[in-house]
Amino acid sequence: MSEKTIALINLKEGQRGIIVSVLGGRGVTQRLTDMGLTPGTEFKIVRKGRLCPVEISVRGSKLAIGCGVAAKILVKVKE
Amino acid sequence: MKITIALAGNANVGKSVIFNRLTGLHQHIGNWPGKTVERAEGTLFHVDYTIDIIDLPGIYSFSTFSMEELISREYIAKEKPDVVINVVDATNLERNLYFTLQLLELGRPMIVALNQMDLAEKKGMCINIKKLQEVLKVPVVPVIATQGKGIHELVHTAIDLVENNYKKPEIKYGKEIENEIQKVVKTLKKIKLDYPQRFLAIKLLEGDEEIKRLIQEVDPNIVKIAEKHAKKIECVHGHNRSTIIASERYKIANEIVKDCVSLKPCKVRFSDKFHEITTHGFWGYLIMILSVISLFYVIFTFGNFFSDILVESLINLKPIFDQYFGVGIVSSLAWGVMEGLIAGITIVLPYILPFYIILGLLEDSGYLSRIAFLMDRFMHKIGLHGKAFIPLMLGYGCNVPACLGCRIMETKRERLIAIFVTTLIPCAAVTTVILGLVGKYVGLDWAFSLYIVNLMIVFILGRIAFKVFPGEPTELIMEMHDYRMPHLKTVAKQAWFRIKDFIYIAFPLIIACSFIIKVLDVTNLSESIENLMKPITVDWLGLPAFSGITLIAGIPRKELTLIILAAHGGTTNFGTILTPVQMIVFSLVTMLYIPCIATIAALIKEIGWKKAIFITVFEIVFAIFVGGIAFRLLTL
Repeated sequence: MSEKTIALINLKEGQRGIIVSVLGGRGVTQRLTDMGLTPGTEFKIVRKGRLCPVEISVRGSKLAIGCGVAAKILVKVKE
Repeated sequence: MKITIALAGNANVGKSVIFNRLTGLHQHIGNWPGKTVERAEGTLFHVDYTIDIIDLPGIYSFSTFSMEELISREYIAKEKPDVVINVVDATNLERNLYFTLQLLELGRPMIVALNQMDLAEKKGMCINIKKLQEVLKVPVVPVIATQGKGIHELVHTAIDLVENNYKKPEIKYGKEIENEIQKVVKTLKKIKLDYPQRFLAIKLLEGDEEIKRLIQEVDPNIVKIAEKHAKKIECVHGHNRSTIIASERYKIANEIVKDCVSLKPCKVRFSDKFHEITTHGFWGYLIMILSVISLFYVIFTFGNFFSDILVESLINLKPIFDQYFGVGIVSSLAWGVMEGLIAGITIVLPYILPFYIILGLLEDSGYLSRIAFLMDRFMHKIGLHGKAFIPLMLGYGCNVPACLGCRIMETKRERLIAIFVTTLIPCAAVTTVILGLVGKYVGLDWAFSLYIVNLMIVFILGRIAFKVFPGEPTELIMEMHDYRMPHLKTVAKQAWFRIKDFIYIAFPLIIACSFIIKVLDVTNLSESIENLMKPITVDWLGLPAFSGITLIAGIPRKELTLIILAAHGGTTNFGTILTPVQMIVFSLVTMLYIPCIATIAALIKEIGWKKAIFITVFEIVFAIFVGGIAFRLLTL
């Protein structure tokens, strides 16, 4: 696993990563953690076309995340 | 004996199917007092028991992010239902258990209804129910709600819980956090609030504003101590306190799933393949466009055919009617009431009902959330996210349920923008006008262009509204559940409730207004109104003078404009009384000029008097402006 943290939006389709933290206000952070995107959680980018949003698979279900939020989620890439 | 049961759980887990199974026809759907959140209540009679069932809104947590969450937790804490049935989606256990853990903290007797067991099996999941029961320390009942399996067991288990003593389970957090929780619980020993002490302690550590305020009123010292413990946790874990507690809960949920669920490998399912195609960057959009166009095509060809038959048979009642009331002013006025009724029926049965049933099937199967996914980027341009696409679609049926449908938007501001653009969407009634006038006499291509123009207007005005109302747009965070077979009964019920909105709000208004228009007619007042409106209708819009009263007639129901146009023009062959340009201008104005009276009523209900009037006045002025421009630009 690389040590560098990058925004989730920079991952490519099919890549896996681990959530490090969420930047942004309490509202967004709370919504994301409630949906299961807590620090240390593994996820996979299922779909990321030229258009937003990003689809990720996390904790056995599919989530659609707008690009604005996806830019605020810091992750580590899992090779 | 009387018992109250509350149904709680995530969105889209089949809660309403269970609710329908339990209550059948004994239902009452209203609003929570003073809130624009739906409250569904029903009654079940079982042996000696009268069981009241409350269907709480579908939510993911109790963190007071939304009105729904606050309502749910306050209801459970204050009203103390005898039993809480937590409906859980077996195919998505981890996320659902995250909410189960929070429900347990509220300390009411609880049952877990493990729903969609059939789908879980198909997914290759094997759930050890006995073990799950042991870990959660509450009864777990496997359910397949769509087939009615497990519903009886739910009722029996609930009655068992009420009759026998219930032992409150306590699920322990990880050691470090649990220690801090215990310390805060100790400080709360003397506090008597509706909420259990452990719940209060956890919420204080999370930094829940509402609970902090409650405790502050009793003993500010406790809040201070709790803050100290929260700081300690933040220091050790290096994250925000609410994130730490959420992580902790998910950790527990994850461990439970690991213990109780074994996964068999299974082949790629059709639903996964279909998901892949329908969210694809090219095929997804193609399928979306094709399915939306065919939806409209089917509804309006079928509707037109059916509506013609319906109108004819209802109009045939006129001679019978005349026989009964005689011919004269009274009968003429009474027929005005009938005309209103006919207008209402001939729009609901042929158009709105089938439209909402098909839309409901798409929604229940999961397809609408894929459209929301695809449309997110576009909706962002008008300050909304993809989910706003759903009320917009509803708007093509009728604007009234569409306005109420805007409740799915997270913030007030977004709800307002969504409602505003929804009122600009041409509903089924407007479509009959456009097709009956422009489509029939000018050409379908022109009718189609009107829709394109409308979409452009929605986009431009939406964008302006987005700039005018300050604030950051909420981002899309949406779960896309697996595709599943839609449950017909639930869909039919949903369609009925949407139409009920229309019938209750619109029908009385339509009938009253048809009556008033008849009065104007009979008293010859309509002519003077037409003369008054001449500067607008004739000079600015280039329409014949008799169109004045028809536009007024459109206020109750827009499809009435066609009927009145026929009555005042003296013919149903509109080609002889209007030029093509006049038809286009007339349709354009009808499309935009006012949210009909039922929609105005819905607007008042949802956003208040002032904003409702503002939107109405704006749209009248705007429609007249656009109509006049079109008249000057178009040469046919």
